[in-house]
Amino acid sequence: MEQKTSLADALRETISENLAATIILVATAVLAVWLGISAGLSQVIISLVTGGMWALMAVGLALVFGVMNVPHFAHGESFMVGAFVAYFVFTPIRDYLAQNPNPALTAVAPFAGMIAAALAGAVLGVILERLLFYPLRIKSRAGEWVMNAFLLTVGISFVMTNGARLLIGATFRGIPGYWLVPPLEILGTRIAVDRVMAFAIALVSIAALWFFLGRTRTGRAIRAVSQDEVGAQMMGINLNFIFPLTFSLATAMAALAGASLLFMFQAYPTVGLTPLYFAWFVVMMAGLGNVAGAIVGGFIVAVFQTATQQFAGIAWTDVIPTALMIVILLVVPFGIFGSEMEE
Amino acid sequence: MTSVELELRQRQAQAGIYGTIKAMLHRLGFTPLGLALLVGVAVLPVVPYFRQEHILRWLVAGALLAGQAAAFDFTAGYINVVNFGFAAILGVGAYTSAILANEMPFLIVQPGISPWIGIWIGGLVAGLLGLGLGWLTLRLRGIYAAVMAWFVGLALLGLVRNLTPLTRGALGLSPPTLLPGAGNLPYFYIIFGMMLVVYVVLRQVTLSHVGLAFKAIGQNIGAAKASGINPTYYRVLNFALSCAFAGWLGGFYAHYYASLTPATLMHTSKTVEVLAIAYIGGRGSLWGGMVLAFPFVFFIQHLRSTFTDLPGLHLVIYGALMILVMIFYPDGLSGLWEATLEKVRSALSKS
Repeated sequence: MEQKTSLADALRETISENLAATIILVATAVLAVWLGISAGLSQVIISLVTGGMWALMAVGLALVFGVMNVPHFAHGESFMVGAFVAYFVFTPIRDYLAQNPNPALTAVAPFAGMIAAALAGAVLGVILERLLFYPLRIKSRAGEWVMNAFLLTVGISFVMTNGARLLIGATFRGIPGYWLVPPLEILGTRIAVDRVMAFAIALVSIAALWFFLGRTRTGRAIRAVSQDEVGAQMMGINLNFIFPLTFSLATAMAALAGASLLFMFQAYPTVGLTPLYFAWFVVMMAGLGNVAGAIVGGFIVAVFQTATQQFAGIAWTDVIPTALMIVILLVVPFGIFGSEMEE
Repeated sequence: MTSVELELRQRQAQAGIYGTIKAMLHRLGFTPLGLALLVGVAVLPVVPYFRQEHILRWLVAGALLAGQAAAFDFTAGYINVVNFGFAAILGVGAYTSAILANEMPFLIVQPGISPWIGIWIGGLVAGLLGLGLGWLTLRLRGIYAAVMAWFVGLALLGLVRNLTPLTRGALGLSPPTLLPGAGNLPYFYIIFGMMLVVYVVLRQVTLSHVGLAFKAIGQNIGAAKASGINPTYYRVLNFALSCAFAGWLGGFYAHYYASLTPATLMHTSKTVEVLAIAYIGGRGSLWGGMVLAFPFVFFIQHLRSTFTDLPGLHLVIYGALMILVMIFYPDGLSGLWEATLEKVRSALSKS
């Protein structure tokens, strides 16, 4: 009995402290239930799968902003790179397996594409950080860094999208699916294995990141830098190690998202724009630089998106969530979970 | 003695006249060199090479880009807010004018208003939208404001794409031209004049106390407030002006190219193109992007026609230039020019 009242008190306190977050969370839950009742459970599961992927994208964005103060506008291009790498690694293996059937290899072949994509993303992240952000950080005047970094990523995005068009060409490269097996039956709805796997991959990667940031020495160092750069340096943390690592982690996660969603988003030079847009959506709503908020936010935005698709038609998925977002930002300019950033 | 004195007086008088002219020019926002450049561009069509129709089209594109760069820099370089929805606002101006001019039955309205009037209404609508955008981003700073403007731009793009009875969606519109049957030469002078108006008006604002307030807000909003500047008023005013000019230029776009689709006009990448020119040209100068726009359009077009098998090469160069400028010379072309002038001056005063 005593415990119950304290729980209620704690709940009341949380709600009054963070009204906006509570309202949004309750609204999302109601929307999800409504979606489930009116459109079937499959829509809820689709929201979950998409949510996992937006969370995976948004976590990288939040991490890069939280640690390096970089508003990363080229995050979608990491997604694009992941999609292309996965395509070019996976399709030859698939074609080979079509000639020489091997059930065990067929089951694990998709992972080869995804791991290759994540590795490529990690390498790309290190290269970008060392080649571009490092010199910018040295040259940038105090107070101009955030905006300069933002414009730098705009340039990177432009070069990468058009470079991909130049080198690979503007053709859609997609696959019908990674695991071409009958869909699974979950709670009476049929759902493709690829979707289930994409969700699992997102969850596992986010959990791994969470463990890394919370439990390992290096992860704690990253968090220390995000809280106080100068203080962290005084404790002997080497920023020239932390920054490339952070950027590489974020890029690898976006590339992994691109790879595991190849069955939904065909590889194309500008494929990254939609994921970028939704990832920004998530971090703006959750509060820039808030990694935990980005995970929750991913699912909230996915529910908004699926509900819009369901109730207003696919053409409105750009407009209605954006309008909602603008309203939310008007009320809570620094996100529903608040942000550690001050300017 | 007298002859020497006379000569001195004459010289003083000449310097006086020259000085007065220079001061007058400065009041209008031109330096002698800037004016010479403008006159040079204005008489370019006299040269046979520049009188070819496709070259004139490049000149028109250059002037259009120059005007956009100035309008963009008015916000980015002065109040330090990157309007990431710039192209969308421009698109709204273009669409407004195009819909008002429509006489075709495939849209639900056929007002048939002359494009000569429509482009002003387009500018007005875009200005009102800018007023709204300025208000929306009021509480936000830096990157938050930029992303908010981006979201608004995306929403506008989606809206234009979805309001098919008015805009035909992704199919696009083909509005009537300003001068049916005319060549490119009159269009060049129209857009050149529009570009001049954009520059002179914006320069007048930045030279006045309002411009000072803009700079103060852009540099340190807290200190500006403490000095009695009302950031609300100035930020909204800045957005409204910049967006109104964007919409006005958009109207010209609509009735010059006579082809509008949401993707070619309002997409984020269009904003990035203007942004790149404005920043490479130098933020907070207004003229940097304008000076750069003409040679840049020519360079890009030459590149495109030379490497037809490499689509998008020019955009890669765009982005790469932007990256290089951000890292190595964030002050851009105008900053480089000022620095060089300063060096020359100090060298002269030493010798």
